[in-house]
Amino acid sequence: MRLGVAGPVGTGKSSLIATLCRALSGELRLGVITNDIYTDEDARFLKSAGVLEPERIRPVETGACPHTAIRDDVTANLLAAEDLEADFGSLDLVIIESGGDNLTATFSPALVDAQLFVLDVAGGGDVVRKGGPGIARADLLVINKTDLGPHVGVDVERMAREGREARRGGSVVALSQHDEASIRMLTGWVRDTLARYRTGDHTPVDPGPMAPHSHTGRDGEGGHPHTHADSAHDQAPAHAGPSA
Amino acid sequence: MDTTSSLLLALLGDARLPSGGHTQSAGLEPALRAGTSSAQVPPYLRVRLRTVTRVEAGAAVVARAVAADGGDLAEVEAAWAARTPSQALRANGRRLGRGYLRVLQTLWPGPVDTSARTWSRPVVLGLLAHRAGMNAVDLARLVGYDDVQTVTAALLKLEPQDPLLIAAWVKDLLPDIDEMAAQVAHLHTTEQIPAQGAPLIERWAETHDTITERLFSA
Repeated sequence: MRLGVAGPVGTGKSSLIATLCRALSGELRLGVITNDIYTDEDARFLKSAGVLEPERIRPVETGACPHTAIRDDVTANLLAAEDLEADFGSLDLVIIESGGDNLTATFSPALVDAQLFVLDVAGGGDVVRKGGPGIARADLLVINKTDLGPHVGVDVERMAREGREARRGGSVVALSQHDEASIRMLTGWVRDTLARYRTGDHTPVDPGPMAPHSHTGRDGEGGHPHTHADSAHDQAPAHAGPSA
Repeated sequence: MDTTSSLLLALLGDARLPSGGHTQSAGLEPALRAGTSSAQVPPYLRVRLRTVTRVEAGAAVVARAVAADGGDLAEVEAAWAARTPSQALRANGRRLGRGYLRVLQTLWPGPVDTSARTWSRPVVLGLLAHRAGMNAVDLARLVGYDDVQTVTAALLKLEPQDPLLIAAWVKDLLPDIDEMAAQVAHLHTTEQIPAQGAPLIERWAETHDTITERLFSA
């Protein structure tokens, strides 16, 4: 299974991947691909963390196009995943880290089977309310660095609750590297998703490029909230007109 | 086939073709780092068209001819490698070849040699042109045009400026691309593949391969 890790820069994607490697490398055959924007810093961080053999961690250059590399032309990442499999045989889990960018970057289902989106409390409690495809519809939302909550004036429980509301009940993990129970929740989610992937009960989903929104028809009706990831959207007669 | 659909050339020359092209600067990133100014980019492109890009286009044209005759493309690959002294450029060319192999096997599926995964871009493009019915001169044009557009698109990322000025450079270089294509389009055998080198471009590629701070693979 290929697992994407997206989220804004500085929210702790690399540390989260290091944590996953530390917890899972004993039971799963792992590989990691990093998409750095300017340097191979993330790959070097993970190699120096000593959580995985350095040969199992591959950087991919994105030509200043971190969105493209994980969404519309995933070639470089697919080749890196192929290389990992060619060098180490079949792997249980390949974790692909996006170049830390902004709230809009999510992975194509052509590249990853599941994806998690990482925010941190230090970015502000209101970020979940800003929404976006990753926050609303990634397979998992991680609210990271919860131990910093009291220091940055963020009510972590409220932020997690608003995350669940934005996701209409979808999975949220409030994570701290200093809280073993939260790490177990994260690794439990990964194990569970991998198990469902293996039995064919998990379907890769594109979180979509846009946040939920509505079209208002010329008669002022029919403005129901939806996303363009909804397959019903394209078939809905209400949208046969020039609303797009 | 004597004529290539102009739409086929447009499809394959389009930066939106998902073959991994956005990871490339065709040597521009290390060239700028080594002190090349953006005003020197048009002469840089002319030098490429007369050297490394000509080798690339010649190898592609010969690969097309060899594929059409049912010959051994591994020989073309070896001839291209012998004319590409930089290890970094050979590795990058083969990475690009794998990207185009995905394009080939999805858009024009068919049996390929098991070693095709190790072939460089010109060899895969030659096979693709044979399968897709693209003629030799258009194949060489494609290689030249792609190189020019790769450099200019990367320039707009590395040193942004009026993008229409850069598009005008590309337009002014179209006759140079045609001239290069006309020089290699008739080639048929591996020994005919041009062997011009560009030692600075090759040295910059080697340096670029070792640094940790870069936007583009090569």
